[in-house]
Amino acid sequence: MATTSNAKNMKGFYKQTKSNITGGISKSKPSSRKVSPKHAATQGSDATQPAALISHGSVDVNDGYDEKEEMLRQFDMNMAYGPCVGMTRVDRWERALRLGMNPPTEIERLLKTEKVQQDCLWQGRV
Amino acid sequence: MEIDSEKTHERKQSDYTSLQDERFEIQKDMYRGQQYSQIYFVRLHLMRTLLYSLAPSWKPHLPVCKVLGLEEGKECIIVGTLFKHMKLKPCVLDEYSKERSVTPLVKPHNFMHPDDSLILEDESGRVKLGGSALSPPVYVTGVVVALHGKETSAGEFVVEDVLEAGLPPQLERPLDHLKEDKYVLLVSGLSIGSNSSNPLLFQLLVDHITGHVSDDEELGLAAQIVHVVIAGNSVEFPRKLLTGQNMASKDQSTLYEPIKELDIMLNQIAAGVSVDIMPGLNDPANFALPQQPLNRCLFPGSAPYNTFRSCTNPHSFDVDNIRFLGTSGQNIDDLDKYSEAESKLDFVERTLRWRHLAPTAPNTLGCYPFTDRDPFLIETCPHVYFVGNQDKYDSRLVKGSEGQLVRLICIPKFCETGVAVAVNLRNLECHTRSFNIQL
Repeated sequence: MATTSNAKNMKGFYKQTKSNITGGISKSKPSSRKVSPKHAATQGSDATQPAALISHGSVDVNDGYDEKEEMLRQFDMNMAYGPCVGMTRVDRWERALRLGMNPPTEIERLLKTEKVQQDCLWQGRV
Repeated sequence: MEIDSEKTHERKQSDYTSLQDERFEIQKDMYRGQQYSQIYFVRLHLMRTLLYSLAPSWKPHLPVCKVLGLEEGKECIIVGTLFKHMKLKPCVLDEYSKERSVTPLVKPHNFMHPDDSLILEDESGRVKLGGSALSPPVYVTGVVVALHGKETSAGEFVVEDVLEAGLPPQLERPLDHLKEDKYVLLVSGLSIGSNSSNPLLFQLLVDHITGHVSDDEELGLAAQIVHVVIAGNSVEFPRKLLTGQNMASKDQSTLYEPIKELDIMLNQIAAGVSVDIMPGLNDPANFALPQQPLNRCLFPGSAPYNTFRSCTNPHSFDVDNIRFLGTSGQNIDDLDKYSEAESKLDFVERTLRWRHLAPTAPNTLGCYPFTDRDPFLIETCPHVYFVGNQDKYDSRLVKGSEGQLVRLICIPKFCETGVAVAVNLRNLECHTRSFNIQL
């Protein structure tokens, strides 16, 4: 399926921001994050951040992904709390609480008080 | 009610509560596109916690491990959900591989085969089960058990012993009990509107319940009925009218006839005694379990009565602190298709021992994809456990290891047998009341 595209179209497709003109998709932030935060929920793999991230239909160059989202993704991936697809993170956390699994309160605080993504990692992508 | 005789019979009263039904209701749940993995996870987690607590007293010195933690030759206990691999189980892909024909590919009969095998699964993995301790004809997909055995070099887990959850704990029956007999009447399969149902038969039942009888002794019997439960399949719509085309208004009113007739009869019952109506497979309610209560607008005559209650399927309620739990039969009929037993009561007893009303849901029995709970888990042992729409009446008293006492009842289809079942609250004894018309 050939699509004719010219440079003009592509500019609107990729949201270029002025601060990040390295011409590619960068994983690391200027402030180095060599040590990932150790939380009880972070027993999963670190395959949560693939190189190219397309979340919710838009190509997201900056990833919109930070420390808090990383923590929430580790919570999503943790097998002990059950499957994450099809539930909001808050619902899954509350279910874990009700089933007596003692999920970390930090996750609840993040989900309820701060502006983070409420849907799980795979929502809309699977 | 008063009649022209020396003795006046007053209907006995009892306390009715139905707090347990909340977990079968789906009012506030919003479907978010979730799949059934969630309900299986909750089921496994809750049952596994229970089985882990029972394992030490069952086999004290054996380690408990997950499926992936199995080592060859090491004797241990594993807990997981059973999956029965069935050769004859209808698969939706058959529709595409076989030739399309007018007759449906699936016929309701038993899908068992001698080659069926069992597999145990938990969130880490699955393992094929072997050995003779676990018999595939008895088990179905969805049951959570603990197994004692060891893995062979072939990668199979040879089972030596099985631990089922067993009967749940039961609330004590109040001992200061009823000095008098009080009965709860259970009936199912009225099938009003079908060719096999006779309206006169149901009218006889209604007359018996409300006391429109001439015999004094029968009037006494009727006065002892404190509650009536109609367990599913109360109507049968003329499906030949549902052709997919627009329906003429004459056909529309014909379609509605059975419900109108049911409402008139329920009105008569509700005027005298408290009645619960549960939806069944043929009733105008949703298909997937737990079926939601029939809409009150279907019963304009009966709904205003506070003695009339439209309930979910399954249904759980307390009368005078006696806990009743029952379904309209779909769970047992599904077990009948995928496993075998000598009698239907064996299936009923098994579901109680597995502590799960409908283990085959959602595999082969339609079920709502709950995310936060599995409402079919039986947490407290009922005193009376009934199943509607069965072929014949059968009943058994089951004793548990901790002193539980449960009356299991199979309620026959009323339109075919004319039989209703009465349970005595005083001693959990039950008997049939049959109605007959010989023309």
